[in-house]
Amino acid sequence: MRHSLRNLLSGAALALLAGLAPVTGASADTLRYATIGEPPSLDVHMGTATIAATIGQHMFETLYAFDSTYEPQPLLASGETLEDDGRTIVMTLRQGVKFHNGKELTAEDVVASLKRWGEHGARGKLLMANAVSVEATGPYEVTLKLSEPNGAWKSMLAFPNGGPVIYPSEIVTAAGGDPIASENYVGTGPFMFKEWRGNRHVELVKFDDYVGVDAPADGYAGARLAEVDAIRFIPVPDVGTRVSGVQAGDYDYAEFISGDLYGVLKDDASVKIHLSGAPIFGLMFMNSKEGPLADNFELRRAIHTALNKEEALRVSVGEEALWKANGSFYPEGNIWYTEAGTEAYSVGDPEKAKAMAEAAGYDGTPIKLLVSTNYKTHFDQATVFTRQLADAGINVQMVVVDWATLLKKRAQPDQWDMFVTHHGNIPDPILLTALNDSYPGWWATPEKAALKAKFTGTSDLDVRREAWSELQALIYEQVPTIKVGDVYSYNIASPSLKGLGETTLIWPHFWGISK
Amino acid sequence: MLAYVLKRTGAAIATLVAASIVIFIFIHLIPGDPIYVMLGDEATPEQVEALRTRLGLDRPLYVQYFYWAGNVLQGDLGTSIFFQEPVTVIIRDGAETSLLLACVTMVWIVALGVPVGVLAAIRQGTWVDQGLSGIAMLLASIPTFWVGLYLILIFAAHLGWLPSSGYPSIFEDGGLSNLRYLLLPSLTLAAPNAALILRLTRASMLDVAKEDYVRTARSKGIRPYRVVVRHILRNALLAVVSAFGFTFAALISEAVVTETVFALPGIGRMVVQSILRRDYPVIQGVILVIVCLYLVINLLVDISYRYLDPRVDLE
Repeated sequence: MRHSLRNLLSGAALALLAGLAPVTGASADTLRYATIGEPPSLDVHMGTATIAATIGQHMFETLYAFDSTYEPQPLLASGETLEDDGRTIVMTLRQGVKFHNGKELTAEDVVASLKRWGEHGARGKLLMANAVSVEATGPYEVTLKLSEPNGAWKSMLAFPNGGPVIYPSEIVTAAGGDPIASENYVGTGPFMFKEWRGNRHVELVKFDDYVGVDAPADGYAGARLAEVDAIRFIPVPDVGTRVSGVQAGDYDYAEFISGDLYGVLKDDASVKIHLSGAPIFGLMFMNSKEGPLADNFELRRAIHTALNKEEALRVSVGEEALWKANGSFYPEGNIWYTEAGTEAYSVGDPEKAKAMAEAAGYDGTPIKLLVSTNYKTHFDQATVFTRQLADAGINVQMVVVDWATLLKKRAQPDQWDMFVTHHGNIPDPILLTALNDSYPGWWATPEKAALKAKFTGTSDLDVRREAWSELQALIYEQVPTIKVGDVYSYNIASPSLKGLGETTLIWPHFWGISK
Repeated sequence: MLAYVLKRTGAAIATLVAASIVIFIFIHLIPGDPIYVMLGDEATPEQVEALRTRLGLDRPLYVQYFYWAGNVLQGDLGTSIFFQEPVTVIIRDGAETSLLLACVTMVWIVALGVPVGVLAAIRQGTWVDQGLSGIAMLLASIPTFWVGLYLILIFAAHLGWLPSSGYPSIFEDGGLSNLRYLLLPSLTLAAPNAALILRLTRASMLDVAKEDYVRTARSKGIRPYRVVVRHILRNALLAVVSAFGFTFAALISEAVVTETVFALPGIGRMVVQSILRRDYPVIQGVILVIVCLYLVINLLVDISYRYLDPRVDLE
């Protein structure tokens, strides 16, 4: 007994000593991605978490995908024809596309997936609320009939975050409104689900029977070639550990690195900066349903006039290369960029704001600002704004909670007057949360409805751009939400990763990447 | 002894029932809702309510409690809302990391805290004592996350000797050599705890050294080494062993900062993540297991007194 114990201990010591060699990682062909956390679910229909979209896009595919100019290109679809002034959309599917379970993709799968997405999906109502029918009109043909033309239909079908990815029909039919269980994460993407071990990792492996688009890779569109055997998404909550992990070679890629490290890391040869090509932007929503701001647009404009966005961005982000005080909801150069209304973006004049608030009948009633501590930038921005508003005589009371509490409270109109959140880059303005009438804030004025109808009622890009320009001006006039500014987050990668490019389109993707 | 163990077990069960009620109520009193976390930004109130009904979260709290408690009695701690996996499986997965981390940390604590504490006591008042006490104070004062990040920076990022983070199971590829993933975290966790054990050992040694029987032993001409080991240390360890028990239990439940810094899949980090997501079954299950652990360790420590000090009467 004593001998066996001694043998065991000496074995453990030898094994430990053997391990004191430089760390090389589990497998040379596994790409290790250090994430900030874990997704709430990988059922892409049901949630809008960024991490779920980042992981999910490798497994699940949509009918269309955005190219590098954010133009939707066919992915599972091969093309489409529009009839009845755009009310009827007939999409043809690529043939021979295989699901990870070996089944061939057909129109039945697309119909079942679109129906579930429309009924239960996080963003499904945006398009499918106006759907009269969606039917398989051939083994590889799907017909979607809308009550009104929707110029953004292709963008909605191409956006994978909370979007209409295509699952096998039997899986979506069985799941209904319940989240799909991990054993049923079956898609058509270049990687397939292997395992999700809570707190450890989500692992995807190369799908050998993947049938991709026969076109060069361009953004999320075109060919999707898996060049590594597996991708492991590992939750590493501490940013310092994520950085050290890439420097040590334990991870190949790490996301959401803090702005204060940018100055050091951009000159560090052991890592490569991978900037986000699409800014995220902070938003401060106003309660349009209840409270002192509900229909007092003049008071909202007074609040907006008091704010100096540069100050908030400098405090919350720091490094000037990583933010831009841009009033447009899209960055310069984007097809949706417009300066309409932006003269009111960052006035920062407390005296003028005070006079406007008085004229709006503001009597010093406390304004409840709901903010979460989970996102440091939210809290910093709210703190700066609270002080700026105090200078203008506007009495703001910060209600500081954690993110889960904020999500629940903001659904209750009596709990808040303003709340701070952020918004990812979206390829089409229709996906902006402020344009969704049921999103907390509940902005639903007749002026908005008229412009939204003009925006979605045509496929003519010029008309849509003009309508968006008017919508942005209306946002500055009625102030349902206040844009803080553009923040360019960044990730870091091992210099040994090949094919990464300089920036991400929206979320980093790892087809076409080797190590 | 048997009567004592039975009595204590009965008290432990009553404590467990009371703890389960408190845990359940407090967790559900926290504002926030897992459904909103799951469905994200754009879910409609109808979608939220539909999922809440499907997960049974719309039922009265007492109904949810009795349903949960009934399942616990059958060994079923429920299913994670997010992972859709049994809580027992999640705890089992995290327990390996947490228990091994606690064990390796205890090795450091015992190996460093006790001998150095003894050394400080027998060199009381000298520069050795003052130096060691100063180091102990420093280690107890430095924040754990700071120690962890610097150990990663030096031993992983610069020297490349040890992994920076993570922990693959010893039952996976790598086997026992995967324990190297726990070296830096265990040192981090051991630093403040070893310092406390050092100070406790020193203080306890000095207390015992003032006892009459120690003076008698010295006057009988027994060698100083034997006096220290046989007469002082053995009796001084009584207080230290009691601290070991609670330190071990605390290492399981309080390792959350270390587990976060080193991205270890332990149960401390799991429970914090679950609180942030309001994954009620996981929070309830993990805390219940930790309460059980405390109760068992408490009982074992009490029983061990009897063997360390025959004067202790458990009855």
